[in-house]
Amino acid sequence: MERDARSFRVALVADQFVNPPPGGVDGIAAAAQAGWGVVQLPADDYPSQVAHRLLYEVAEQSQEFAKHGYDIVLVGQREGLTEALERVGLAEPDGIVPESPVQLREFLDSRPSPAAAREFDQAAG
Amino acid sequence: MGVAFVAHCMLNQNSKVGDGAHCAGVYSPVIDVLREKGWRIEQMPCPELAFAGLNRFWAVREQYDTAAFRRHCARLATAVADVIALRVDQGEDVVLIGVEGSPSMGVTITSSDSRRGGRPEWAEGTSEQVDGEGIFVEELRKELASRGIGFPRVAGETHAISGHDEAAQRAGVEAVLDGKNL
Repeated sequence: MERDARSFRVALVADQFVNPPPGGVDGIAAAAQAGWGVVQLPADDYPSQVAHRLLYEVAEQSQEFAKHGYDIVLVGQREGLTEALERVGLAEPDGIVPESPVQLREFLDSRPSPAAAREFDQAAG
Repeated sequence: MGVAFVAHCMLNQNSKVGDGAHCAGVYSPVIDVLREKGWRIEQMPCPELAFAGLNRFWAVREQYDTAAFRRHCARLATAVADVIALRVDQGEDVVLIGVEGSPSMGVTITSSDSRRGGRPEWAEGTSEQVDGEGIFVEELRKELASRGIGFPRVAGETHAISGHDEAAQRAGVEAVLDGKNL
C-alpha cells in the first residue's frame, strides 16, 4: 500500500479564489503547488440560509482538523464564517486576502510544519 | 461549460480515511480537467469526515448504512441540492464528480461486504467493490427527485479502483463534461 500522502494543511478558501474571475488569483493552483488542501467557502450568491448551513459544515470539519493538529488558514473572507467557527469553539485562523498568486504562495509556504505532520513522520520512523 | 459539484476530497485529500490520501491536497488529475474546460467548481461536504472523524476505519456501505448516517447524509444532501437548484435555475449545466469505490461518494461503483465488522481484519485480496451508488449520492438523488430536479450526469475519480488508469479517468470526466452519460 502506498504511504498516505496528505499534507495536514488545510486552507479555507473564499469562492472568489476557487473560481477566480479573469485575472484573479487562482487559489486552487497555489494550494496545489504548495501542497495544501482546499475547503471551499460558500459563494457570495448563495441564499443566506444555504450559506449558513454550509458554513456550519465547514466549521465542523475544521474542528475535526484542528483537533488532530492540522494547520488551518483562511484565504479571503466570508461573512458568517467567524460566527460559525465560534460555535464549534474555534477562532478565525491566520489568513490572507492575496493580491497576487506569488503573495498567496509565500504565505502558504511560510507556515510552520503542522503538529500532525510531525507526529505522522515520527510514527513512520 | 457549467458547474461541477465535486466530492470534497477532490480539493482536499486531507479529508481521506487514513492511508487513503493519494496526494498532499488538491487531486489535480480531475481538477485540472475541470479548469481546462472552464467549469465552475463547487465542493460538496465530506459525509464521512464530520460523522466518523479523521481516525475512522476503512468501511463499506453496510457499516455506514444506519439511520443516523442517512440522516446526516440527508442533511448534507439538502444543502447541496439547494445549491444545485440555484445553478439549475440559472440555466447552468450541472455534473457530479464522485469517488468510485466510496461507501458514500461512489457514483457507479461503491463498496459492499455484508460480513465486514468487528475486529478490523479481513482476508488479503478481499474485494468489496460492487456496482452502485454511495449513501450520500443516494440521499442526494432522493432530495433532487423530491424537488423535481433531474439527477446530474456523473463521473468518478477512480484511484481506489483496481486497474486505475489516469488517462481513462480523464477520458471519463471529459466525456461527462462534454454531455455524455456514463
